[in-house]
Amino acid sequence: MSDTLLEVENLRTVFHTEKETIRAVDGVSFDVERGETVGLVGESGSGKSVTARSVLGLVDEPGVIEEGSIEFCGDELVGGNWDEHRGDIAIVFQDPMNSLNPVYTVGNQIKEALRIHQGLRGQAATDAAIELLEDVGIPDAARRVTEYPHQFSGGMRQRAVIAIALACDPDLLVCDEPTTALDVTIQAQILELLDELQREEDLGVLFITHDMGVIEETTDRVNVMYAGEFVESAPVDELFDDPKHPYTKGLLASIPGRTAGDERLPTIEGEVPTSTSEPSECRFAPRCPHAFDACESVHPERIAVGDPDADHETACLLYDDEFEESPPEDGVVADGGETA
Amino acid sequence: MSVTTSRVADALTDGRTALWALVGLLLFLLEAGAFLNFVVGLTIDGILALPGVDAAGFLTTVESAVREIPTLLSRETIPNEGYYDGSGYEGTFLGLSPAIAWALRATLVYLYAFAAFGWGVWGYRIYRRNYRAADWTPRDDVFDRFRGHKWGIFGLVIVFMFVTMAVFAPALGPTTVDQNMRNSYGYETKYWDSDSGSVETILVGDANLDSLSQGNDQNIGPWTYDDYGRFHPFGTMQDGSDLFTFLVVGSRISLVIGVLSVALSASIAATLALTSAYYKGRVDLSMVLISDAVMAMPQLLLLIMLTTVLRETWINEVYSGGFLLALIFAFTGWTYMWRSIRGPALQISEREWIDAARSFGQTPITIMRKHMLPYVTGYLLIYGSMTLGGAIISIAGLSYLGLGVAPPTPEWGRAVNLGQDYVRTGSWHISLIPGILITLVVTGFNALGDGIRDAIDPQSDSAGGETAGAGGGA
Ligand code: SF4
Repeated sequence: MSDTLLEVENLRTVFHTEKETIRAVDGVSFDVERGETVGLVGESGSGKSVTARSVLGLVDEPGVIEEGSIEFCGDELVGGNWDEHRGDIAIVFQDPMNSLNPVYTVGNQIKEALRIHQGLRGQAATDAAIELLEDVGIPDAARRVTEYPHQFSGGMRQRAVIAIALACDPDLLVCDEPTTALDVTIQAQILELLDELQREEDLGVLFITHDMGVIEETTDRVNVMYAGEFVESAPVDELFDDPKHPYTKGLLASIPGRTAGDERLPTIEGEVPTSTSEPSECRFAPRCPHAFDACESVHPERIAVGDPDADHETACLLYDDEFEESPPEDGVVADGGETA
Repeated sequence: MSVTTSRVADALTDGRTALWALVGLLLFLLEAGAFLNFVVGLTIDGILALPGVDAAGFLTTVESAVREIPTLLSRETIPNEGYYDGSGYEGTFLGLSPAIAWALRATLVYLYAFAAFGWGVWGYRIYRRNYRAADWTPRDDVFDRFRGHKWGIFGLVIVFMFVTMAVFAPALGPTTVDQNMRNSYGYETKYWDSDSGSVETILVGDANLDSLSQGNDQNIGPWTYDDYGRFHPFGTMQDGSDLFTFLVVGSRISLVIGVLSVALSASIAATLALTSAYYKGRVDLSMVLISDAVMAMPQLLLLIMLTTVLRETWINEVYSGGFLLALIFAFTGWTYMWRSIRGPALQISEREWIDAARSFGQTPITIMRKHMLPYVTGYLLIYGSMTLGGAIISIAGLSYLGLGVAPPTPEWGRAVNLGQDYVRTGSWHISLIPGILITLVVTGFNALGDGIRDAIDPQSDSAGGETAGAGGGA
């Protein structure tokens, strides 16, 4: 219990627009423990980023956390209590060009965080900033600390962003697609760095990405998100070995190298719908290759599946005993996209 | 501390920087008298305002001592007021004719002003090349783009000349407001009476009555002398006073009111725009409502009403009513600026570095000031420059209508008004010259605004990666 950093319970974040209320995050629950990496995977528009912003208390009007609780180290954050834990939860954004302010030097921006969280100023702050840049693997840090973001390459910029996050001395690091904007080789380096830092500092990490490959490499537990809901949650090995939800299977099938032969990669047709009301159906049904009648009229609840020890849950009527339809044989779904 | 001292020492041993510092010192010394005069005058006013301090005697000695310091561009160093004594000019600079002496002084004033400006640019270049840690910052591009913008440079030159006029107003006029207008019966002037062949003395007020510009039969046009040997670069006004002196001093009040009102409305607009961009939602909506309400009030009617209602109050006494005008302009004018910078502010508030700063607990005020304000200052400059032109027109317009700045404080619009009966006569200059000046200055401010806009607007930037990258956010 004491190792649980973050406990999110039944979180619902909605955006009130003139026409309707959009349920960007609709009742998700997950925990992050110290030293653990929890993945959040889904297509764009599935609500991953809003989940991250909710955890950080960065949801802007017209968005609002309508329901649920977010506890950090046992303290409830919902209701505007983030200020006490500012810096304990740090975030690394997707686009390093956008998360560094181009008019200030990199050093200036690290020092801004150092000043707030460690009370360092002047030369002491500069020294600490140089040390942080060294920690994230930036060579010649003493010189680079005075340079502007545009003088950094993409990978170096992301390292600098990580250095800013570390300057707050966080317990939990939220990574919102931290490698998506980078080249594959740089991507691997950044992942390695994050991994290293996590082990050194014993950080909890909430890792958000649309890339199943990255999930497989970095996370311990995975939550698959679709239209604001978690449709499947499982430890990473279990999920990759024994995916249950048709959406998860579709995502896995779209990883290069996982589908047999030289046929083209299957994709899931269609787009993530925008959820505006209490669900009365399976939100994935319009795209689901296995949808049956009940899928249109019953909202699937999360039920335990797979290995009983693995804490594996999914929200799909195929696994609900009330309905007659039974899950398809594994492997058949690999080309599910094409049958849709 | 030690780092800065050694930097200064380094700078002084470097030839180019030392030269730059020397030139700066020289430029300062030329005008040190005027500068000290200003500072001492201000301090003395401040001290005398304190209750219970009785040091008037000592202070006046200080004041007159400071006044004795020679200043290159003062009326005393290069005098143009003299008289012809039958064989040559008496009392003018080097015995030159009053016209030449005056032209020399005016030219020197402008040379000095441009030299000071050039010195500033030179200093910035040295700093940029030799002392700044970074080789390049995003602002350099803005400067470089502006340098290539001819229309913007034109605006800058006009605005700079206008500001110089306002700053050096007392030195530029061929005579002073006090001597020529306010207090003309308290001064005498000497002139050469060719009938009697001797130097005579006359009160300035009486001399003015003989120098009226009121149409074809009575006119002292631009660049002429009147009967008393006084030179009038722009001619005289309908009451015989010197138009050029009127206009240079009038530029001061236009500039002060303009700058004050624009600075006030810019700070209101910036504060509100940043607040509404940061908090969004309901805060933003309420600001929109407030600004719409203010905008819905007819500005001119409000101006006329308030100036009339407040005519008798103390606030209308401050700076001949100019302060009140500035306040009214600011409180009615901020809405336009707010509208213009709200968009850019909202755009900036979406940037991830704002969220990053929020996530590590930076205070909203610091985020607005440090991470958002730098991106809207450019827009403030653009719209500020353009609004300033508008304010100058409005001030002139009000004086033209007989409202606003109280007479006898010179104001351009009043000159236009005073001369309008003579536009079709030989005394056309009274209205036309200030009219042209107003147009030119307002155009200058607009051109400057255009130039700044083109220099900072990312749209005029070649399709850079920065804008493309911005689209990738989740
Ligand atoms: S509930 Fe029905 S539609 Fe939804 S994923 Fe399961 S089978 Fe597909």
